[in-house]
Amino acid sequence: MNRGYLTNSIKLHEQNQHARFIRPVRNNLIRMKSKILLLVLTLFLFCNLEGQEGKKRSWDNQDLTFKEFVIKAESLYDLRFFYKDEWVADIKPGKFNGSFLLTELLDSLFKGTSLFYLVDEAGNVIITRNFALKVSGKADVTDTNFIPPTDYYDSQDNGELSGNIFYDIGNPADKNKPGNVVVSGYINDRDTKDPVAGVTVLVAKQAVGTMSNEYGFYSLTLPRGTHLMQLSFIGMKEKLVHINLNGPGELNVEMNSMLIPLKETVISAQKNVMFQRFEVGVEKINIASFKLLPTSMGESDIFKSVLLVPGVQSVGEGSAGFNVRGGSADQNLILLYGAPIYNASHFFGFFSVVNSDIIKDVTLYKGGIPSRYGGRISSVLDIASREGDRKKITGNAGISPITTHLMVEGPIIKDTLTFILTGRTTYSNWIFKLMEDPSLRRSMASFNDLNGKVTYDLNRNNKIDFSAYLSNDSFRFNSDTVYSYQNNIFALKWRHFFNSRLFSVISVNNSNYKYDISSQSQSLEGFILSHSINTTSFKSDFNWYQGRHEINFGVDLSRHEVMPGNYLPASDSSFVVPVIIEQEKALETGFYIDDKFILTDYLSINAGMRISSFFTTGPRTVLLYDPLFSKSMTTVTDTLNFRSNELCKSYAGPEFRMSLNFKISNKSSLKVNYNRTRQYLHLLTNSTSISPSDTWKLSDYYLKPQIGDQYAIGYYQVLFKGIETSAEVYYKKIKNMVDYKGGTKLIMNEHIEKDLVNVSGEAYGVELMIKKSEGRIRWSLGYTYARTFLKSISQFSEEIINSGEKFPANFDKPNDLVATFNYIFSRRLSFSTNYTWSTGRPITFPVATYNMGNLTLIHYSDRNRYRIPDYSRLDLSLKMSGNLKSRKLAHPNWTFSVYNLLGRQNVYSIYFKNEKNVINGYKLSVFGKAIPSVTYTFDF
Amino acid sequence: MKSLKYFILFSVIMLLSSCVTKFIPEIDEKRELVVVEGMITDQPGINTIKLYKSLPLGRKIAAVPLRGCVVTITDDLGNSSKLYESVYGTYVTKAAEFCGVVGRKYTLKILTNNISTNNYSYESLPMEMKPVPPIDNIFYEKEVIEEASQGVQLKEGCQVYLSTSDPENNCKLFRWDYVETWEFRLPYDVPNRICWVTNNSSKITIKNTSALTENRISRYPLSFISNETDRLKIKYSMLVNQYSLNGDEYVYWEKMQNMTESVGSLYDITPASVSSNVFCIEDPNEKVLGYFSVSAKTSKRLFIEEAFSGVIDLYPGCPSDTIPGSRTVIPNLGRLVWVIIDGTLDMPPYRVLTNDKNCADCSIRGSNVKPLFWDSNK
Repeated sequence: MNRGYLTNSIKLHEQNQHARFIRPVRNNLIRMKSKILLLVLTLFLFCNLEGQEGKKRSWDNQDLTFKEFVIKAESLYDLRFFYKDEWVADIKPGKFNGSFLLTELLDSLFKGTSLFYLVDEAGNVIITRNFALKVSGKADVTDTNFIPPTDYYDSQDNGELSGNIFYDIGNPADKNKPGNVVVSGYINDRDTKDPVAGVTVLVAKQAVGTMSNEYGFYSLTLPRGTHLMQLSFIGMKEKLVHINLNGPGELNVEMNSMLIPLKETVISAQKNVMFQRFEVGVEKINIASFKLLPTSMGESDIFKSVLLVPGVQSVGEGSAGFNVRGGSADQNLILLYGAPIYNASHFFGFFSVVNSDIIKDVTLYKGGIPSRYGGRISSVLDIASREGDRKKITGNAGISPITTHLMVEGPIIKDTLTFILTGRTTYSNWIFKLMEDPSLRRSMASFNDLNGKVTYDLNRNNKIDFSAYLSNDSFRFNSDTVYSYQNNIFALKWRHFFNSRLFSVISVNNSNYKYDISSQSQSLEGFILSHSINTTSFKSDFNWYQGRHEINFGVDLSRHEVMPGNYLPASDSSFVVPVIIEQEKALETGFYIDDKFILTDYLSINAGMRISSFFTTGPRTVLLYDPLFSKSMTTVTDTLNFRSNELCKSYAGPEFRMSLNFKISNKSSLKVNYNRTRQYLHLLTNSTSISPSDTWKLSDYYLKPQIGDQYAIGYYQVLFKGIETSAEVYYKKIKNMVDYKGGTKLIMNEHIEKDLVNVSGEAYGVELMIKKSEGRIRWSLGYTYARTFLKSISQFSEEIINSGEKFPANFDKPNDLVATFNYIFSRRLSFSTNYTWSTGRPITFPVATYNMGNLTLIHYSDRNRYRIPDYSRLDLSLKMSGNLKSRKLAHPNWTFSVYNLLGRQNVYSIYFKNEKNVINGYKLSVFGKAIPSVTYTFDF
Repeated sequence: MKSLKYFILFSVIMLLSSCVTKFIPEIDEKRELVVVEGMITDQPGINTIKLYKSLPLGRKIAAVPLRGCVVTITDDLGNSSKLYESVYGTYVTKAAEFCGVVGRKYTLKILTNNISTNNYSYESLPMEMKPVPPIDNIFYEKEVIEEASQGVQLKEGCQVYLSTSDPENNCKLFRWDYVETWEFRLPYDVPNRICWVTNNSSKITIKNTSALTENRISRYPLSFISNETDRLKIKYSMLVNQYSLNGDEYVYWEKMQNMTESVGSLYDITPASVSSNVFCIEDPNEKVLGYFSVSAKTSKRLFIEEAFSGVIDLYPGCPSDTIPGSRTVIPNLGRLVWVIIDGTLDMPPYRVLTNDKNCADCSIRGSNVKPLFWDSNK
């Protein structure tokens, strides 16, 4: 067949002011099933007739079938209907009396179905299923610059069809104008109608690509003419769209999930993602990819997959928190619903605090942190949460050796108001009951968490959601001290679309973290010690797409309140004197703006700035110390008292963020990045990893904000189909980190500044990655060489660590190798394995012993002079989906996994104990054997 | 707040597979630092200051003493007392000449006369001797370690508590140590059958009462005696010393305790050196180990002579051979084997031998001289 363009488009008479237009173009070899007729029909829509369906006709119906309805409609409106009988079998027009427009009737009939209709001016009513036909008309656009968006729909079961249709974008009259134009639009999930973030939109021939943002918005600059646009995303069918670009315009696309009805899809890294991202060091992890990873105790865990990213390390197994490019664990901003989570682990770090059922995807910014994020210097881990299913109520439940979880989601009002609710709890206490040791039998540990979200689409331009997160942990050892902590987050978010190029997100959220440590075994000294941090934030964020610019600006305001420690008697009989350490209060503000600017086809820039400031306010008592001596209680010279709400100390400074993206060729690019970050909140911890009794501290009169500067260069190359490589190099400097004078207690310490030591940090590293992320066999290999050094800065000997020389940080693990391999046998069966090897972390060994009276004491080496043995671990898992029949009541899934298959006793720590005045060394391995687990889940 | 040391136990059971194994580190540095180990109290008698070089870890040799130093103790009233070297590196006060007085501040001064220390001199901060109240009571309670059940005997241990109070609020920082002595008997009729073992406490036990409304410590759990030793078999005694601490010394012990006792968990404190109160005059950056303690001291003794159930038998595997007859020549008798049951007068005559001298002679483990205080509770 000849390839031809329609010369005469037809204006449709629709009530909808967003008139929809179609201008399909025939391509050779149209392999359509039922739709061939429809397309052929549209080719012959030449006559410019006044349609009949625009007139009201009176109806008086008595239980017609659709067929009867059609016959009647054809006669009343003088139209002809085209459809397939099987599509309309379920449609019952029912009774209606009165005068109606045909469109009113069809709108109500097809509501909630997958049917679309088009009435052309020749009097044909074309009914389509799963995709809509649109006709574009030049008549509409001659007098205005605004071109209505072209919507792209496609049937789920015939993806290749899309390659045969050309979509006109822009005013055809502009076709021959010179220069490049911008095409932009939104990408939604066809099933849930949720925006899909992170979709790679690529025009391979032009070597132009981008990714959709969190609202599913994308924008590309292309020369006029015909292009093949390729859209891909993990777990979604790849989509090819032919566009005929006349001028600037919009194209909205719906994408389909790959596996239906199974929600979990197989691992698939993002194609071309590294290649197209602006920033260096940004990783996006999809829920599907980490659900396939081997688990340690039958729970999919987001932190476990974060640890597979080059440049991310942890101190050891079961340690809460992770270290990104030489940053300490408190330098990671972990966001859920846009609010910070202050303690991100359950069960001492064996599980992450966010239930994976609620996670849509997770983005980790190791560098190239966009200016809209602030407050932590090393990384941002933004957890995007799912919205409830818009069509029907579904859910899943699962059981593993330690936990059980349940998720339910669905519409309250179809397509408008949805909810999702997930909960998780442990039943691990039974294990303790089996123990022989009586002290362990009296121990317990448990956690539970609850996530919920309600989303309400007010209208096309306004969307509101409310989310809540509640978690609770409690554990006790030997019936003596009970530890418990809670994270609570509430967030309200309003998205408003001013127009298709400008939208805003306004949110208010509150995050509260609190822990209690209590002991009542000795009633006279029974106590409750509690600590909390509460942050209330207001955030407004604007995105403006203007041609080659994507401008993002906004304001953040956060009110922090920290209760450093309350030490209270547990009962009336307790002698404990209540001690309440003065509350800390502060306001943190941030103003930011950045611009993603496509300079030429080969160079794009993302430059931005954030101005952050921090104001601590009274009431506050500040001790002044003799500057000639190290701060201690004996060198106090004066006391300053600040009244309530009086400004005590303020800090402010600019944070520059900048990325350059050079496109060297179609298959390779080079990126350069610099960013500065400031952090006003500090986690006081003098243990190797985050412990449950660590406290948060605000910057104050003495404690300065931490400032991090990171420089990074990345090179990305696609070798041949499906194999991507990347190399990133970074250098980072951190000012004003805190360390501690030896052996100090940080908890209930009223004037912590006297025990703090100022250290500066320096980190550098190379991260190499090669991966294949397509096909049945997928693998990746990542290697990182990274060093992190700290150096104490002080003039007082007490505050000098290692004679003022630089020393490796606790998490300095120079070599790190991660390999993953997946084999997808079939939709129902997949195999996954990963291997990790890294240098052991540094450790301080005792080097000398001496006596004090009857006691033998230890003198330690220089800080972190030695290392624990290397770490190596192999995990594997096999995942089976029980049944693919979509009518089955529940879809069972089995996951068999083995953690630490080689049974290697990886050393977590080495410690020395004085046993009868002999110093003995011990090594502790958290996992001494292979840990098998079985998890059963089912979707309903 | 109880330390987090149970984490290790916890991870053991939670994963049913975590493990702790012995580890001997390879250390490539040889550090010999000056150690000042000394204490003066308000009690009559001699006070001892020991000066020596620290030992590398795991080295089982005796420390090298610092000989020939000039050691003096001065107080804030200008009194000065020179110590004399009783044995190499051990300097003692003359009992008649020096006794600590509560309320005074004492300074230790050391002039080394030793090439290994570059002839450097060392001096402590002035340390105040705080008053200490007497120990009100030391008492114990039987505790069930394991209930009796089918085939399992009741197992009992003993928790020793201490109570003290200072209504005048002079002393808020306490430290205790104790010396325990117990009698044990070999289950065989051998010449050296009854002996006494003496053992020093090896844990840092300190307490700060400034967070309590009333300066009273009641039921401070000082020590738990398990059934895994034979301490509770016959008779047991404990001499508890209570010391007052000044603020500086309390912090020293607290840091030491934090670092030595909360180890082996997932959340160990990063170890670091704890600074002494003794400094080198010539090189202020030189690290000095140890501490010059200045404390008032009171003591009290506890006796336990009750029957405890399920105390372990330390001598179950003693007999290694039975020799019939009374005249058989036993090779290596008294060198590698010893007689524990002499049945030469029985019919038929026999002798039971052991190859563990501990089973035949209690003075290997303890002393066969009854301590002077042993019957003082009667």
